[in-house]
Amino acid sequence: MIPIKYNVRNLRVRWKTTLMTVLGTALLVASSCILFGLVEGLEHSLKVSGDPLDLIVLRKGATAETTGGFESKKADELLTLNGILRDGDGPVAAKELLNIPVAERLSGAFNNLILRGVEPASRKLRPEFKIVAGRDFESGKGECIVSQSLAGAYKGAQVGGQLVFGEKEKYRVVGLFTAGGSSAESEIWADLKDVERNTGRDGSVSCVQIRAAGPAEFDQLRKEIEDGAQFRLAAKPEAEYFATQSDASTFFKAAGTLIAVLLTFGAMFAAANTMFSAVKSRTREIGTMRALGFSRSDVLLSFLGESLLLSLLGGGLGLLATLPMSLLSIETMNGNTFASVNINFRFGYWVMAVALSMTLVMGLFGGMLPALRAVRLEVIAALREL
Amino acid sequence: MKYLTYIFRNARRNPVRTGLTVASIAISMFLMMILTSFFAALQEANAATKQFNRIIVMNANGFAGQLPIARVRQVEAMDGVVSVTPFSWYGGKYQNQRVLFAQFAVDADKVFDTLDEYDVPPEQLAAFKADKSGAVIGPKLAREYGLKIGDPMPLQGDIYPVDLKLTIQGIYQAPRNTDQRMVLFHFEYLDDQLRQLGSSSGGSTTQPSSAAGNAGILFVKCRDAAATASLCKKIDEEYRSTDFPTRTQTEEAFGQMFSEMMGGLKNVVYWIGTAVVISLLFVSGNAMAMAMRERTTEVAVLKAIGYDKKLVLGIVLAEAVLVSGLGGAVGALGSKALFDFVDISPFTGGFLPFFYVPWSVALTGLGVALFLGFASGVVPAVIAANSSVINGLRKVV
Repeated sequence: MIPIKYNVRNLRVRWKTTLMTVLGTALLVASSCILFGLVEGLEHSLKVSGDPLDLIVLRKGATAETTGGFESKKADELLTLNGILRDGDGPVAAKELLNIPVAERLSGAFNNLILRGVEPASRKLRPEFKIVAGRDFESGKGECIVSQSLAGAYKGAQVGGQLVFGEKEKYRVVGLFTAGGSSAESEIWADLKDVERNTGRDGSVSCVQIRAAGPAEFDQLRKEIEDGAQFRLAAKPEAEYFATQSDASTFFKAAGTLIAVLLTFGAMFAAANTMFSAVKSRTREIGTMRALGFSRSDVLLSFLGESLLLSLLGGGLGLLATLPMSLLSIETMNGNTFASVNINFRFGYWVMAVALSMTLVMGLFGGMLPALRAVRLEVIAALREL
Repeated sequence: MKYLTYIFRNARRNPVRTGLTVASIAISMFLMMILTSFFAALQEANAATKQFNRIIVMNANGFAGQLPIARVRQVEAMDGVVSVTPFSWYGGKYQNQRVLFAQFAVDADKVFDTLDEYDVPPEQLAAFKADKSGAVIGPKLAREYGLKIGDPMPLQGDIYPVDLKLTIQGIYQAPRNTDQRMVLFHFEYLDDQLRQLGSSSGGSTTQPSSAAGNAGILFVKCRDAAATASLCKKIDEEYRSTDFPTRTQTEEAFGQMFSEMMGGLKNVVYWIGTAVVISLLFVSGNAMAMAMRERTTEVAVLKAIGYDKKLVLGIVLAEAVLVSGLGGAVGALGSKALFDFVDISPFTGGFLPFFYVPWSVALTGLGVALFLGFASGVVPAVIAANSSVINGLRKVV
């Protein structure tokens, strides 16, 4: 067994080559990690959006709350059902009305935003809803609150700003909120009555959000809403609803995987290049080691180890480079609703797995051929080399 | 030119290293081509619509807003307008599944006059116009689901509480860079069903009064390019103070709007592209530096027998540019050839209606590769040119 110290010293002596290889591969690993961090962020927002006891009620046949409207009358009856969780303020259930206006980004581009008219209970129905700046809106005053991540991207979306959509819709921004990374973080919230009035849609709601008191009540509520002659609506478990919304994340994942695979190949060749040159310039040393009695497998392991060490440095550095990315949040378009969606970078298992597998593949496959070449050298010829 | 042989020999001296460098550049270039083409192809397709002089009218609040169907006739009467069709997004389900192909309610008599680049054989077009529940679908959609003329195509409502029982009467043909997976059907067919519902309870895009009578957006074909700009202004002026103010723009600007919506995603794509280029710089620079270290003695010999610095510099740089350019050519032109040959749109679940690598992108990639070669060769070349002859001859690698 050749001591690992030998490999460490090698990398140190050829520090220029080592540094360039490490920097090159680190950048490639970091790129893949950023991609998967975003995929993970997207998945997380869909996962935490759904509480196991929450139901989302839509028109039968509708697949999304942006398209699933029904009459307000039915919605009011829904709120009186037994089995809904109650607290001091009444039932934990809310009628909500969605509007998708166009807003201007700071960059001057336009995008569709989701404006949600909400009732007080809506806040309890979102995970960790918090006002982080300014205050919550008061109903009936034409005020609104904006998700913190949107506030930095749109004109007039900061506290004290004014959001104007078309001729009739104006909302004063009085606060910013966060909601535990859930899908609400891509939205603007205003008072349900204001939104109804401004959009001329009194008498209809987009959806009703309900929290059941317990698992038994959950099933019973679902049955009643879906099959009861009175309603005939679709009551979807929220977790299930958000799972169907994740088409975009599937595409991102596929695209991300393809990109990561290509990047891995690029990095693999870079590592192999470095290792080949390391083997070539150390032909004599290899001959000497063999002459001293180290076996072929010792030499093979030593060079594979060195290649792994090299790629570990690259992979580790690449992973470190993604740490400050936790602050990264990108705002893009959701392919299903054509409305803005915010994706926060999340440093999670996926990212770790991608970095680790890239590193291993790089190190093992990049080092394999050069190491085999080192093993196959004839001892006598190798010692004769310059 | 007489040095070319020498340069080629040098590049071929260590085939493994050259091969690996070319391969890593080619693969990364291939990736860059995919990333940049995604937006460039969209843009090119948008720009291609210019020649048709079309403008698109939508509700000022975005396409979630409505436009009354009566506006089709009003706009048609304006000076400079050739034909108008509504384009109302139905967004239904097929086989009770969410699908990623677009379905639009259109004016059957006008739609193919307005969209000139979409062709339907005359007898199919006549059948489509005659059959109120007829539909014309895109060739890719027909291939994907194995649909042919005469097949039923039932769609289930998602936005609207009505289902459609369509019959395929035609399959359109259109240029490669258009959406080839659309379903176009009679506006009246959807509208009549909605009217029968009476005061329905539509989704977010509909007024509680009735979901009927919504034209969605209007595709307007203008007489000539000069008419487009003035008509955009004129239409918006006309409806400024109505309940449904409009935002009218050229088809190109409308498409651009979609691509702008991608917002942050675009930046991420560009960051990754940049990171890839920078890391390539390290990789190929590294390979070049290794090559130079092996040749210290040779460079010293060249200088000892009287060649000047400039030539040495040139020879080393030329080699770097050659190797990197080769990788770039394989990656950039290879990806272009691949996507021209293979259609990947069915595998993207409708996310990409078409995908190809535009020439502009491929040539830019090649340029980037050549620049990379130059940049990665500069340092080793300067070091080689300025190396001391005595030391070079003494040094044993």
